[in-house]
Amino acid sequence: MRSTRSLAAIAFIASIVITACGGSGTPTPVGTAAAGSTITVMSLWGGSEQASFQKVLDAFKTKSGVIANYESIRDNYSTILQTRISGGNPPDVAIIPGIGFLRQFARQGSLKKVADLGIDVNALKSNYPPGILEIGQVDGTQYAIMVKFNSKSTMWFRPDKFKTLGVSAPSDFAGFTKLLGDIKAKGTAPMGLGAADSWTLTDWFENIYAKQAGPEKYDQLFSGKLPWTDATVAAAVDTMKSAIKEDYVAGGITAALGRSFTDAIGQTFAANGQAVIYYEGGFVGGIATGQTNTALKVGESIDWFDFPAVGSGKTVTIGGDVIAAFTNKPGVKEFLAYMTSADSGSVWAGTGAVISPVKSVPASAYPNDLAKREAAQVANASAVRFDGSDLLPSGGGDNLGAALQNAIQGKTVDWAAFETAMAAKWKAEK
Amino acid sequence: MGVAPQGLELTRDYRSLSGGRTAARRGRGPESPRWGTAILFLAPAGLLLLVFLVYPAIYTVLLSFNRGRNGVFEQWIGLDNYTRLFSDPDFINLSTFPPSGALWNNLLWIVFYVSIVIFLGLIIAVVAARVRYESVVKAIVFIPMAIAATALAVIWKFVYSPDANIGFLNAILGALGVAPVSWLGDPGIVNFALIAVGIWGSVGFATVILSAAVKSIPAEVIESARVEGATERQIFFRMILPMVSLPMSVLAVTLVVNVIKLFDLIYVMTRGGPGKASQVIAFTMFQQAFEAGQYGYGSAVAVVMLVLLVPIMIFNVRRFRTSSVT
Repeated sequence: MRSTRSLAAIAFIASIVITACGGSGTPTPVGTAAAGSTITVMSLWGGSEQASFQKVLDAFKTKSGVIANYESIRDNYSTILQTRISGGNPPDVAIIPGIGFLRQFARQGSLKKVADLGIDVNALKSNYPPGILEIGQVDGTQYAIMVKFNSKSTMWFRPDKFKTLGVSAPSDFAGFTKLLGDIKAKGTAPMGLGAADSWTLTDWFENIYAKQAGPEKYDQLFSGKLPWTDATVAAAVDTMKSAIKEDYVAGGITAALGRSFTDAIGQTFAANGQAVIYYEGGFVGGIATGQTNTALKVGESIDWFDFPAVGSGKTVTIGGDVIAAFTNKPGVKEFLAYMTSADSGSVWAGTGAVISPVKSVPASAYPNDLAKREAAQVANASAVRFDGSDLLPSGGGDNLGAALQNAIQGKTVDWAAFETAMAAKWKAEK
Repeated sequence: MGVAPQGLELTRDYRSLSGGRTAARRGRGPESPRWGTAILFLAPAGLLLLVFLVYPAIYTVLLSFNRGRNGVFEQWIGLDNYTRLFSDPDFINLSTFPPSGALWNNLLWIVFYVSIVIFLGLIIAVVAARVRYESVVKAIVFIPMAIAATALAVIWKFVYSPDANIGFLNAILGALGVAPVSWLGDPGIVNFALIAVGIWGSVGFATVILSAAVKSIPAEVIESARVEGATERQIFFRMILPMVSLPMSVLAVTLVVNVIKLFDLIYVMTRGGPGKASQVIAFTMFQQAFEAGQYGYGSAVAVVMLVLLVPIMIFNVRRFRTSSVT
C-alpha cells in the first residue's frame, strides 16, 4: 500500500517536473488540454499579498496556458463568497475564509471534491508534512488544499534592546514570565498588546493550550469533542494571564483592549516604541519592516524566538489559507494540481510573503533569513497544529476572542455557558 | 449615521406646519378620480417597493422561523431562533446590574444620544440665532454631518487611541498629568465613548432642523410677549419650546430610528468589544447572519429590530397626519 502510494507520488511529481521543464524552456504556453481557458480565482488578499499571489498566477499561465483571473474581495469576504454561492455564481476557485466555512460549503455541496476533479489525493500525501492535508478534509474527504501558511509560534522582540537590558530569549514559559518581570524591574515596559483585535488573544491561547494540554487535547477541544469546561481550558487561561498582566503589558490591560493589532506592533517596533516584545505570527516581520518602521534591521532591531514551551510541550501552531474549487471548468484541475506542486510553492515562497506547505520547496527558495527560519521551525516541530479559532464553527472564533478579552480583565469566564453556546454552534453545523 | 432621507421628510413636514400650504391651495379642486392614471403613476414606485421592501421583509420574517443557513429555507424550527436569542446574555442580560447585552446598549444609546443631541441642538439653535456670526457657528456644527460615518469612526478611533502619541484625547490628558484612559477598551466607558461620537456626528443635523423651527416662529408673537413683560426665560420655556415641539418630536423619532439601525460606528470602532460590552442589535444581526452564516438566527434579530421600529413609525406617521390637519 505504502509503496504504491509513493510510486504514485513519484509519478505525480515527475509529471509536474516534466510539465515544468516544458514550460520553462519555451516562452509559449505548453499545450495542456485546458490551455486557452480562463478561470476565476477569488481571495481576500490585496496590496503586497495580492502582488505575491499574482506572481504565482503568472507562472501558472506560463506553465499551463490557462489564464487565472484574480478577483480580490477585501471586505466581508465570507459574506460575498456566500452570497455568490447562494446566487449560483461562485468563483471557479477560491480561498476559503476559515475551516468553519470550508465545512459549511462542503456539506452543502457547493465544493468539488479534489478527487472528483481528477487529482489523485493519495499521491498528494507525500508532498506534505503530516497534518497539513487533513486541514482541507471535511468528514474524511479532501475538499481543499492548504496553499500557504505562517507560523503562529513566533515571539517577536528587539535584539538591540535585549542587549542593552542584558536579557536573553527564554526557552520555556517560566523563563518567559521571569524575563517579563526582569524587563519590568529594569523600568522598561515589556510587551506590546493589541487586544481590541481579539484574534490576537485567541492566538495566544491556542499556543499555550497546544503546548500545555498537548496536541491531542487540542484536537479534541477544537473539534467539539472536549467541552470547554475541561480543567485544561481554565489552566491555559491562567498561564496566559501570568504573561498578559497589568505590569507586563505596555500601558496596561485596559489600554490594550482599546488598541488595534497594528498599533501594538508599533508599541514595540515603531521608532518611538517603548516595549521590547510582541507576540503574533510570522507575518509581523513583513508589517513591522514594511510599514511600521522601515529602518528596522533583521537580526539587529527585529527578530523572533520560538514561542516558549510550556512544560515540555513544544507544539507549533500555524495559521494559513486553504484553496478549493467550486466548479470543474477546464483549467480548474490544472490550477489545483499546480498549487500542490513545488513549482508554485517556490514561486510564492520566493516573494518572501508566505511559507509553502509543500515539502519539496527548498530552503533556498526563501529570500530572507526570517522566512527561512520560520519554514524550518514548522518543518522541525514535534507537532504542528492549525489555528484553533479557524477550526471552530463560524462565529466561534469571535466568541472565544470575546471570552478572552473578559478573562484578561480579570473577569470570571463562564465556561459552562461558553460550552453551551459552542456546542449549539457545532450542532447547527451538522 | 445616514440621516439624509429622514431629514428630507422632516423638512417637508416642517414646511407644511409653518403655514406654507400653497400646494394645497393651488390644487385643482374636486374632480372625478381617474383611477387608471393614478395606478399608472403609482405602479413604478409600488413595484419597486414590493420587490425591494415588501418581499425581502416577508422573506426575512419567514427565514427567522427556519434554520436558514446560507440564506435558504432548509428546516422549519418554529420559535427556536427567538428563544435562543432572548436567552442569549449577549443579546439581553437582566441578571446583572446594570443589565447588559445588545438590547440594553441600544437603550443606553436612545436615552443618552437622543436626549443630548436634541438638547445641544436646541441650545445651539437658540443661542446662535442671537449672534452675528450665526452662519459660521452653524457651519462648524454641521461639518461632521458631511463626513461619512465610517470615516468619522476612523477619525475617532485615532482620537480615542490609548497611546498618547496617537490618541489626541490621551495626549491632552497626558499634558495635564492625568493617566491615559482606554476609551474603547474599558467596558464601563466604551458605550459612552461611542455615544459621544454619535452625538458629535448628529448635533449639526439637530441644529439645522431646530434652528429653522425657531426662526419660523413669527417675530410678532415673541415681540408682543416681550411687550407684555415676559422674561427671556419665560419666552423660551412658554413660547419657543412648545412651538418647536413638533419638529422636536419628529427629530427625536428620526434619532431613535438611527439608534436602532446603528451599525457603522460599532463595526469600525469596536466590533462590539471588548468582550461584548458595546454590542448593538444591528451589529448582532450582521455578525450572526453574514459572518457566522446563520441567516435564520440573524433574521430573528432583524425581526426584533423591525418590531421595535414599528411603533415608532406608527407614531411618526400619525404625527405627519395630524400636522397636515392643524
